[in-house]
Amino acid sequence: MPFIAFLLLTIGHFMSGYGILTLFGIRLSKTFTITLSLLLGMAVASFIPFLLQLFYIVLTGTSIFLALAATALLLNIPTFLRIRREGFGAAGRKSTFNVPFRSFRIRPYEIPFLLIIGFMVFVSVWRCYYMPPTSRDALSGPEAIAEYAVREHTMINSFFSVDLWSTNNQFKSPYLISLQMIYKLAGFPFGQVWLSTIFVSFTIFLYHALRQRVHPVIAGFLLLLFTMVPEIYSYTFLILYDYSNMVFFFLSLYFLFDYFGNGPAAKELATSYSRPATQLYFAGLLMGIATYIRSETLVLAVLFLPLLLRMQLRDRYPVKKIVRAQFFFLLPSLVGYYLPAQLYNKYYLPVHYNVGAQVNDHLNNWQPLIQRYKDIITRLMTGEFSIQLWGYILYIFFFLFLAELIFLRRFSKEARDWLYAIIVVYLGLGLLGWILPLMNLLESTKRGLFKLIPLIIFYVAANGWLTRLSSRIYRWETARATQPVSAPLRVKPQKKRSGTK
Amino acid sequence: MKSFLLTILSFLLIVLVLNTGRYKEWFQTKPLQYWNDFRVQKNDTAGAEAVMTQRYGITYTMSMKIKAVVAKKKVAHPIILFEPNGYYRDSLRIPIRVPEPAVFYYYTGLEGVWINSPDAGKANFLLRISKKGATLDDIRSPEQLQRILTYYKKYTPIL
Repeated sequence: MPFIAFLLLTIGHFMSGYGILTLFGIRLSKTFTITLSLLLGMAVASFIPFLLQLFYIVLTGTSIFLALAATALLLNIPTFLRIRREGFGAAGRKSTFNVPFRSFRIRPYEIPFLLIIGFMVFVSVWRCYYMPPTSRDALSGPEAIAEYAVREHTMINSFFSVDLWSTNNQFKSPYLISLQMIYKLAGFPFGQVWLSTIFVSFTIFLYHALRQRVHPVIAGFLLLLFTMVPEIYSYTFLILYDYSNMVFFFLSLYFLFDYFGNGPAAKELATSYSRPATQLYFAGLLMGIATYIRSETLVLAVLFLPLLLRMQLRDRYPVKKIVRAQFFFLLPSLVGYYLPAQLYNKYYLPVHYNVGAQVNDHLNNWQPLIQRYKDIITRLMTGEFSIQLWGYILYIFFFLFLAELIFLRRFSKEARDWLYAIIVVYLGLGLLGWILPLMNLLESTKRGLFKLIPLIIFYVAANGWLTRLSSRIYRWETARATQPVSAPLRVKPQKKRSGTK
Repeated sequence: MKSFLLTILSFLLIVLVLNTGRYKEWFQTKPLQYWNDFRVQKNDTAGAEAVMTQRYGITYTMSMKIKAVVAKKKVAHPIILFEPNGYYRDSLRIPIRVPEPAVFYYYTGLEGVWINSPDAGKANFLLRISKKGATLDDIRSPEQLQRILTYYKKYTPIL
């Protein structure tokens, strides 16, 4: 029975996510579409019980599953209309624009990586299914609220009547509560299995995105390094906010940078690559989801506005369009911050959390800020403890970055984008730790650094030395072939639309 | 042939990673250990309760025993006062920690308080843990409760 429920939920998530992709007119290859739809669908699902709670609707299996089904159908109205108009082929044929992709075929030399990564995915999925949630932050907040919400049909339940002085986890985003509720109601006593859907979808997405950039052997190697980051791997079967936050934060930047036209598509397509504004808004939506999961992501979202502005000024956007694009990129993050952190916490919960009281009283003293930046480098990013947390990925990054800086003395546009993002995360987390001392170094900031790792992986994939190595392997491999193994990017050149440059 | 050579390269890269310093140690103690766990767990017929007992350990077992004892006593609104974890650490020097009230409620559905909780004055049971074992004592009067709270005041109620 739980298996059937899981299957139905997965189909529902896929439909919701696909509906969103269609609404934003984003068309991708099948693998990207499936994985991204599942991730988006999961985000939609995480919003449904919360939304029902905001309207004081009783949270039962019936109300939640009906709402999930209705949402999946409503989000697909444009798809249904198009199918009605143009027939069943329409869903896969037409779209507002194309994001380019390579053809996908597994080659023998990818199999070793797929096997070892598959093994690690399998044990993570099993552990996620078999074991109950164990992280203290989940047990003393979202998991307990979800458990009693299932019994009492409301998120504002008897949990809030007990002594909560030792925890502030009840004030965190309803993201976990909602997903835990859905999966507990579907017959999984520990919930959690939704995390495996996110993990598997994201892993597949990453591999395909890396494969677009570098030779599959390098892509497999980088994905292996990512999967073997000890601290992140453990959160693929321990529910908490940071893994999901990392996923949606990365996806937002992935589409934002693609919108800038600095990715592999732009390199191969030169001027024919159009930049629909909907892609920017889509990136904003993904950032909004990341902010909904962890409210402090709002600060990081704001720090990407200068990068967007730089691109807009470079391409001579009119002021009106600059303002509109900046606003719509940031809007979902503002909503993602406001709903859980302001509206819900202030006006719904029986106990209140005064964020203002947590703010550092001595903001004119910059010494702790400088110390925090030092600590992030010396305690979390270098040394024995950093190897315990992240394996050797940071050292590989430092080495390749210095090699590119010293010997090549230039960075590709894509590498510069990822470096900018890395700096934003570093500066943003330090700043947050300074403004909100409750965000301690060894817990909050450490988990906040999850966001750094996929950015580093993509910087490394765009690193001049690695792209040269990748090209050499491709050339060597295809030296006598009549057709290159690396199929050229398949994109239909499109005319610029209104709402874009 | 080139494809074969690249496959060998892939294998070599994996072997290299799996045999390098921290990766080697981590892979053996985490994913490989989890795989060994899986081989046992897949044949396990234990229910959710047994898995929770196994996973949460002594804290969970103790909480569930408290629940059973309280159920037998048939008290209308039981509130269990926990000794501070600092007491076990600094005085008794035993490696045990009582759950925080939020987690105790998650496990049992019962209200628990620490000595510095706002509701500590409403406690009607005291969980005493010593090197010999644990007992759940009734708190019979406000004076007795006050004496208990004063006694434990010097210990930190750490997580």
